[in-house]
Amino acid sequence: MNTEHLDEEMRDVFQEIANVAMGRAADLLARLLNNYVVLPIPVVNLLERSELNMALSSLRAVDSVSAVCQGFVGSRISGEALLIFNDTSFQDIAELTEFKGDITPEVELELLMDIANILIGACLKGLAEQLDVSFSQGQPVLLGQHLNLYDLVNNQTGTRKRALTIEIPYRLESRNVDCDLLLLFTEDSLAVLESKVRFMLE
Amino acid sequence: MSSSGESVSEFHWLLEVLQTIDVGMLVVDLNYTVLAWNGFMENHSGISPHNALNQNLFTVFPDIPRHWFEHKVRTVIELKNRAFTTWEQRPYVFRFKNNRPITGTSKFMYQNCTFIPVADMKGEVNSLCIIVYDVSDVAVSKLQLQQANTRLKEFSRKDALTGLFNRGYWEHLLSQEFKRQQRAHQSTSLIMMDIDHFKSVNDTYGHTVGDDVIRMVARVISDTLRGTDVAGRYGGEEYAVILPDTNGEDAVILAERLRVNVEEQVITVGQTSFQVTISLGVASWNTRLESHSDWVNLADQALYKSKDMGRNQVTLA
Repeated sequence: MNTEHLDEEMRDVFQEIANVAMGRAADLLARLLNNYVVLPIPVVNLLERSELNMALSSLRAVDSVSAVCQGFVGSRISGEALLIFNDTSFQDIAELTEFKGDITPEVELELLMDIANILIGACLKGLAEQLDVSFSQGQPVLLGQHLNLYDLVNNQTGTRKRALTIEIPYRLESRNVDCDLLLLFTEDSLAVLESKVRFMLE
Repeated sequence: MSSSGESVSEFHWLLEVLQTIDVGMLVVDLNYTVLAWNGFMENHSGISPHNALNQNLFTVFPDIPRHWFEHKVRTVIELKNRAFTTWEQRPYVFRFKNNRPITGTSKFMYQNCTFIPVADMKGEVNSLCIIVYDVSDVAVSKLQLQQANTRLKEFSRKDALTGLFNRGYWEHLLSQEFKRQQRAHQSTSLIMMDIDHFKSVNDTYGHTVGDDVIRMVARVISDTLRGTDVAGRYGGEEYAVILPDTNGEDAVILAERLRVNVEEQVITVGQTSFQVTISLGVASWNTRLESHSDWVNLADQALYKSKDMGRNQVTLA
């Protein structure tokens, strides 16, 4: 794939694949929480590192957030899933999961991990099935508490300048729940992704 | 025959690997009956396979938080989706000892766990595999880093001699308070104070005794103030206090109490003993103040007035 920019056809295909994957994830989330999940429209972009940093820091600037990231790799495709969760959402999530008691930082973490497991797991599974690959998922890492989101992205050195990003904003109907799932694919995964997609199209 | 012999041997060494791998592996059915576990689980728990296999998991490990565990498992089974738990969320699921009993610094093994739905030949999920990773080293070093950072933060904020906030941090807090005042217009006051004739204490009794006096005054300040007041060591023998939600009159009452409490302290050096006094200036916030340094200046002027009037007294600006 031309790694300079994303042509319209490829963008549409990734968009469609992302649609299917996130639809499944939304379905699981709806089942877990017993609440209608507004189906989001994924945004596909090829971002420069600097743009990616900007996108991440703008997310962070809005409000206080918690985040979990999880690496995935398989069939020469690799990347990271990043779930950014607005801290104001915890109260509603706690109600939906019928959690009783005070919402301590430990409880918030528990809720965050529950949502991360579902959204990241289901999205990756949906993507992998469509592309006919299988991914190994690493252990999730909590950002924010021990690591600063912005620093973490800035810290990365190396040759990878661009990343294919799929951003999926999840909202729950009539609930104040707000989280963004970002799937980031490394630059060297792009050629493999493209050939998989071309194969699907034929 | 030979191919079946090969597959038996393959099965055998696969099992051997599972048994020896240095990661915990446990399989339970939907009623939480233990179907399989490997050497890692056996060795760390000290429970023999005979006492674990075909037993209920919660009987084998009574420490497992049952409600939490069942909730996890239910989501994994219903959604056919794997779940991860980290040590940050729950230090361990299975309480095992640290795998380095001599040099390890934590009592127990920190664990990350993965819950994996296991499908049978028909594709139905009716058992669950749990993988247990020992992450004690990572966890301990992260926790230590966190502790060190907290301590560093404290060091950078506190005055080493008195334990009060140092001037830099106190001024930072004052500027925050000033900004809040500009929005909220509460009655908030500031006290600046200074030990009278401190130089002669140093000259007469030496710097060690001088330090004792500085510490004594700091202690009196800490003991006299209320929880919401913010005290700092402003300079050598100067102290400053922010009193939120306190008008000038109340601040003067508190300042007067500080003055008396310091005056009553007796410092003994060898055979002799002496007392010290402090002079204080009080300034309440008002709308004419343009910056937090204006506020400090106002309290300082009141303090100089106390000095001019003969020391050991309180002046309200």
